[in-house]
Amino acid sequence: MHGRVKVRTTEEEKLRKEKERQEKLKVFKNVMQTIHHKRQQHEYDKELLELTGKVLASNPDIYTLWNIRREILEQIRKNNCDEEQLSKLFNDELNVTEYCLKINPKSYCAWHQREWVLTTRSDPDWKKELDLCNKYLKLDERNFHTWDYRRFVVSQCKPPLQDEFDFTTEKLLDNFSNYSAWHYRSKMLLQLYPDVEGGRPIQDKHHKHELKLVQNAAFTDPDDTSAWFYQRWLLGAVKTVTSLVVCTVTQIKTTVAFSKQVSHNYVQSKTRLFFDNVAINGDWISCNGNDHDCLWILKHNVTINDDIDVKVEYKDEYEESHVIKCLKYKPFTYIGKSDICFQNKYSQPVIEELNEQLEACRQLLLLEPDNKWTLLTTTVFLHCINAKLYHKEAMVNLQILKNLDEQRAGYYNDLISKWNIENQLPLDYEHKNLVFRPTFSDKLTSLPHLQYYNFCEIIDLSDQYLSSNILPSLKYLQHCKILILRNNKLHTLKGFPNIELEKLDIQGNEDISAEELENFTKNHNFIIMFN
Amino acid sequence: MDDDLPTDFQVIVVGTGMVESIVAAACSRIHKNVLHLDSSDHYGGLWASYNFDGLQKFIKEVTSDPKKQVQVYNLIEQWYIEKESPPEEEKKEGEAEDGKTEPPKKIWSQANFASEYRKFNIDMTPKLLFSRGPLVELLISSNIARYAEFRCVTRVLTWLNDRLMPVPCSRADVFATEAVSIVEKRMLMKMLTSIVGYNEEEMDNEFKDWNDKTFKEYLTHKGLTPNLIHYVLFAIAGGTEDMPCLDGVKECKKFLMSLGRYGNTPFLWPMYGSGELPQCFCRLCAVFGGVYCLNRPIDTVATKTVDEGKTVVVIESKSKTLNCDHLVIGINECPKDLVSPEPAETCDISKAVFITNGTIMKSEKEPLTLLRFPPLIEGGGAVTVLEVGPATGSCPKGLFVVYFITNKVTDAETDLKPYAEKIFDMSGGDQTVESEKPKCLWSLFYNVKDTSAAVESAVPCVHVCSGPDAGLDFDRAVHQAEQIFKKICPGEEFLPRAPDPEEIVFEDDVTHGPEFEREQEDEADGDTSKE
Repeated sequence: MHGRVKVRTTEEEKLRKEKERQEKLKVFKNVMQTIHHKRQQHEYDKELLELTGKVLASNPDIYTLWNIRREILEQIRKNNCDEEQLSKLFNDELNVTEYCLKINPKSYCAWHQREWVLTTRSDPDWKKELDLCNKYLKLDERNFHTWDYRRFVVSQCKPPLQDEFDFTTEKLLDNFSNYSAWHYRSKMLLQLYPDVEGGRPIQDKHHKHELKLVQNAAFTDPDDTSAWFYQRWLLGAVKTVTSLVVCTVTQIKTTVAFSKQVSHNYVQSKTRLFFDNVAINGDWISCNGNDHDCLWILKHNVTINDDIDVKVEYKDEYEESHVIKCLKYKPFTYIGKSDICFQNKYSQPVIEELNEQLEACRQLLLLEPDNKWTLLTTTVFLHCINAKLYHKEAMVNLQILKNLDEQRAGYYNDLISKWNIENQLPLDYEHKNLVFRPTFSDKLTSLPHLQYYNFCEIIDLSDQYLSSNILPSLKYLQHCKILILRNNKLHTLKGFPNIELEKLDIQGNEDISAEELENFTKNHNFIIMFN
Repeated sequence: MDDDLPTDFQVIVVGTGMVESIVAAACSRIHKNVLHLDSSDHYGGLWASYNFDGLQKFIKEVTSDPKKQVQVYNLIEQWYIEKESPPEEEKKEGEAEDGKTEPPKKIWSQANFASEYRKFNIDMTPKLLFSRGPLVELLISSNIARYAEFRCVTRVLTWLNDRLMPVPCSRADVFATEAVSIVEKRMLMKMLTSIVGYNEEEMDNEFKDWNDKTFKEYLTHKGLTPNLIHYVLFAIAGGTEDMPCLDGVKECKKFLMSLGRYGNTPFLWPMYGSGELPQCFCRLCAVFGGVYCLNRPIDTVATKTVDEGKTVVVIESKSKTLNCDHLVIGINECPKDLVSPEPAETCDISKAVFITNGTIMKSEKEPLTLLRFPPLIEGGGAVTVLEVGPATGSCPKGLFVVYFITNKVTDAETDLKPYAEKIFDMSGGDQTVESEKPKCLWSLFYNVKDTSAAVESAVPCVHVCSGPDAGLDFDRAVHQAEQIFKKICPGEEFLPRAPDPEEIVFEDDVTHGPEFEREQEDEADGDTSKE
């Protein structure tokens, strides 16, 4: 009987596949050999182009072959000036990459080859590239290779930013679990809607809208982290000004501390110190020896007398001048502090939106008090709206979070340390005191903003939960004489900075070995108390 | 011609409805010798799709033949448009070229319907497929899916606060909707997630104490707002106020599990109508050697015992005697005496079909809609509405076909007209006037006898297939077909995957000679090594 249906058995099918594989392998080895041979002979011709193309068509991720193809194209371009032919060659190359991307849409080298072609040829068709991105993002809206390539294309052809912004909206409506889209959106937002008049990064209207949008995503699926990241970014998008927070002048050392790291160039050109209205010349040196630092030491050779008039002048990044007068804290010691504030400053409409969202969070918490994301967001809102007013509530929430979400207990502990310090710092700055001692009961696990306390002579960090990785940051304590680290969780003294103390108390850190202590005392000439 | 038809078969199937066709395909697939008959000149029986001309014939048949009215009755057809189109006013050339003004709405006449009759595919039994439901899985696993094309249902609507509302059913919908607050979003998503996690076998599940309560009570207990309860109960579970809790949970789970496979909703609609599906199974049956004969009513069915106590079913058809081991017969083709006992009085089905000049709710792209009406009067049944457009091959451009299905209370018109009037303009007024509601151009109300209950046959070796049910999907038909198949062919696989053309070898292709010899050698080698 002829023409009857007969289906291959799985055994037959397996044999047939294996045979096919063997044949393929033989062909592959042969072609690769020919390719290498031709390249060694510098035969950069169309045949080599064809051979490499054939192999790449079934395996797009052989970098070497893409490199060879670029060599060939460069060679042809050098020898041949016929624009039309060249254009055709580049088009063919784009077709090869497109074919390869169909096989592996996440092929680094295929995307790279495409970028190379577009930047190398004289007649790139950017519109077509943008369409290609649309097509690929329709097939997989989370392919970050395509998003990356899209940003490259957009940087070249500069389509209306609004279109790009709307494109991210469209993609997020399809599926908001998309880091690439949220990220791209954040970039667009800053460029499209900066608040030029108010000096804020984003116009109120849009800031509000985005907060609403991301809140929707977050409450639709709280387990999707991409929305939370975007929300945090939005909350952080406030106007920030670098400020000089404290200037300390003693007979030994002159220092200035900034709210965040600034460059040497900035300190040197924007900061001037005056003794009795005479500008002091000198060289600013980073306390950590870096190009960017928060604490700078002025090397000068002016003698510090008692009862001089000390002030410091600086310009912020908006070229606004500030003057800080230093007060005499004790003979030969002058300290000038600025008004400090850690509160994020939002515009009124944004604050209203945040309050509304806080209210929604509170409602939800009543329904599901143990939801980690709701509680964390509530806490972040409290902090952003009025950190001082809601300080206690925020601290209570963070303690609950430590239990709800044990895996991130360290993160919550550090947040507790940070917000406590930020709460205490403005009060400490109001008093004429050269001692720093935490006034809250929560244990410190980290030492944020430590440069703010660089003027203190006594730093009492006893009975905290500090571990050895805070040691390098003690470098900020340039004026400290007595440092108390009693009863902490130090396990080594490795990383202890070179600072000129009179006394160091490290009693009650049981994990430090006797041998290490012995070495440490030998190498330091201040009093060290230990057990 | 009749003489060509063989007389002895293993299985004879009478009727080409959904259940009959699946059984025919399944038997033929495992190489049973199958004859498939239908008394009409088309496939599908009550499951068929008709073009407009075919539908007119069907209506005429039913109204003129009292025998047919056992199955279909209370049939009322009505036109809302003129017989002939008014003579077209000649357009000025300038107007035509002005691309900005939209072309005026077409004025449809009965004559237009008649001339475009072939563009209609109107279903007698319109049904949807759940993306992960048994029929989709069967179509894939059996490889019959390649005979059919589908479109995704684009939206699920409900009737809420006296207007149509889209139901947020997927994650993307919940994110995008502005109809629910963020707190509601969280609650809705939480409820849906908890339902997805429902496992019947697990004794200690969330719903264990809700056995004797209604789904509505459960949703209320969970603190869902009235809007959310409406969405979940009426639109997602497709229920009514008194739906038992566990039924609601199961229906919701079925809906939710089918999300995210093909489109934004859990449903697929067959291109060219539900009537295509029985034909796909018939095609597979024919590919595997099934013999087809339409227009072939049967006269009598009898059984006789032949030697060795084997029973044979004997069928007289057009004065020809056909013998088979098993007879599979649709309930509507089945002689009364074969059915035992007479099926109990069941609730019949009220149906309606409308042809309109626009969609019930405007959308950017052509929509394909499932609308679930909660009962408008207390104690009434819910109404399922399906709206399909030209993209599904159901009607000419500019029109929509809308199906209404509910359980019969009075008669189809009384049961369904109040619902239709909510969403259509049934005044028969000027078609060009822009209004909220689309104009109804044509309508058909009818009742169908519910023959969907499983029926036992009085005679062994005769298997009776149910008619269409009022349900949304094909699940019952698939289930019943599998049961019948198992009775006919115990222990055999139900519709194993049919091979693709490339997997099929024709005897002529098989290589002979040397190939054979080499295999022999290999075998010999193997033998030696064993020794």
